[in-house]
Amino acid sequence: MFFISIIRTIKFALQNFWRNIWLSLVTIIILLLTLIFVSVLSALNLLGDQAIKSVQDKVDIDVFFITDSTSDQLATAKGIIESYPEVKDVTYITTDQALENFKVAHADDEQILASLDELEENPLPASFVIKAKKLNQYDAIIQRLDGESFKELILSRDFQDNAVLINRISQITTRLTQVGIGVSILFAVISFLVVFNTMRIAIYTHREEVGIMRLVGATNWFIRGPFMWESLLYAVLASVLTMALLYPAALVASPYVNAFFEGYTFDFVLFIRSNFWQIFLVQMAVSLGLSMLSSMVAITRYLKV
Amino acid sequence: MIDFKNVTKEYGKDTAAVKNVSLHISAGEFVTIVGQSGTGKTTLAKLMIAEERPTRGSIVIGGWDITHIRHYEIPVLRRQMGVIYQDFKLLQKKKVFENVAFASEVSGTPSKKIHKIVPQVLKIVGLEKQVDKFPRQLSGGEQQRVAIARSLVHRPKIILADEPTGNLDSINAQDIINLLLKINKFGTTVVLVTHNHDIVNSLRKRVITMDHGMIISDQKHGKYIL
Ligand SMILES: Nc1ncnc2c1ncn2[C@@H]1O[C@H](COP(=O)(O)OP(=O)(O)O)[C@@H](O)[C@H]1O
Ligand SMILES: [Mg+2]
Repeated sequence: MFFISIIRTIKFALQNFWRNIWLSLVTIIILLLTLIFVSVLSALNLLGDQAIKSVQDKVDIDVFFITDSTSDQLATAKGIIESYPEVKDVTYITTDQALENFKVAHADDEQILASLDELEENPLPASFVIKAKKLNQYDAIIQRLDGESFKELILSRDFQDNAVLINRISQITTRLTQVGIGVSILFAVISFLVVFNTMRIAIYTHREEVGIMRLVGATNWFIRGPFMWESLLYAVLASVLTMALLYPAALVASPYVNAFFEGYTFDFVLFIRSNFWQIFLVQMAVSLGLSMLSSMVAITRYLKV
Repeated sequence: MIDFKNVTKEYGKDTAAVKNVSLHISAGEFVTIVGQSGTGKTTLAKLMIAEERPTRGSIVIGGWDITHIRHYEIPVLRRQMGVIYQDFKLLQKKKVFENVAFASEVSGTPSKKIHKIVPQVLKIVGLEKQVDKFPRQLSGGEQQRVAIARSLVHRPKIILADEPTGNLDSINAQDIINLLLKINKFGTTVVLVTHNHDIVNSLRKRVITMDHGMIISDQKHGKYIL
């Protein structure tokens, strides 16, 4: 009997869905727009974060050493620097490695390679690549380096400060998030009202049936069931459609996005693919939450039992 | 079957529609409730199906005290009572068969059973040949018979008819009363609210007369006295 009633309430819901097909479509479209907006916003947020991370990854101090420095001295220096609390890691690039890297980087350039071969000795210095744990710790590390006994071994120091760039990106993402949250709330409120109104109309069109149902002893949940199923249907269709629209759009956009992140380990499509179900579930949760909540309010308000 | 003890129903302050009514209706009885408009007959009927709650007093239906009936228990009560109104309350977009089947569908009866019971009740009311018609293709009397068929699908112990002949001419009205008498013969308790003198007088059944929310007479083989 329980099973029969579930089937019947679903049947009633589908009938109503078709009976008011235009209203149903409008409801789904507004939910769809909300989901698309929230998704695009989240994607931009994610890309902003990735951009900051990528730039952060690029920040480091390159310390070059004079050719006279011995590998023992450098090993000691490396140990000292690694013991700084601000330091995340130190990569030691020997002169041989530096040469190797240089050759690889200029593999296409015959002239450079040829001129390199003419030199008898390796002209490239050994170096350390130092990364701080946090972006604002580089100054402290530089100060420490200046006070060390191995200071005279240091040929030069290269620190490119990307703080300005990072600040700009994070300003943009923060601004984007603020505006986005505002507009998202607006969208959510609108879809809440649209679903609410749709359910109100559905209840109104069915007032006779509902009256008779009560008269002949239909249970409360049987009377409410069709309306709940209907709002569930809106939510599911909206999130499925959102995914069906956004996934191809992401595929189209991804070459451009990836080009922007050239040289960094971030692949937009791969990200979407590996998080497909999470993204889908979040969208489903958002639309279900909105749709079910507002129809619940409409039902308790207009479907007195 | 139906027991009212000192039941009062007030819709607002100082507007009692039913005042201190006590009455007992036994199983299998055919009872007519008469009285002028606005004397509380419909309110009395609503109290029986728990559409309204008594302000004071207690109501017992079939041994079940429904004075403080819970929300979720009301459907159980309604399935034991068939209710018929003056305006038929049929769904215009559904055919005769569907209108009757609807009552079973929404209370979880399996389809197989619905297809067995609906033709049965339609036969009782004499509409077995009209199953595929829409309400607007039927006369008032026929529409009321559809409503009666619908009220019978749960095999109720009580049929409550509030002015069922109010919209019908006298021939159709008599048909409906005869149908109610037939249902009563099967053992179903029938409570008929009406203000049709001819019907009341020809019935020679128990008549409860109401005035200003109170029972002013209760006769075993009564006549319309107002
Ligand atoms: N829902 C209601 N709210 C307020 N007053 C009502 C309501 N229903 C009925 N009444 C009042 O109660 C009295 C009895 O009404 P009713 O039971 O419908 O009488 P009858 O069916 O005998 O005509 C009337 O005065 C009517 O105005
Ligand atoms: Mg009345």
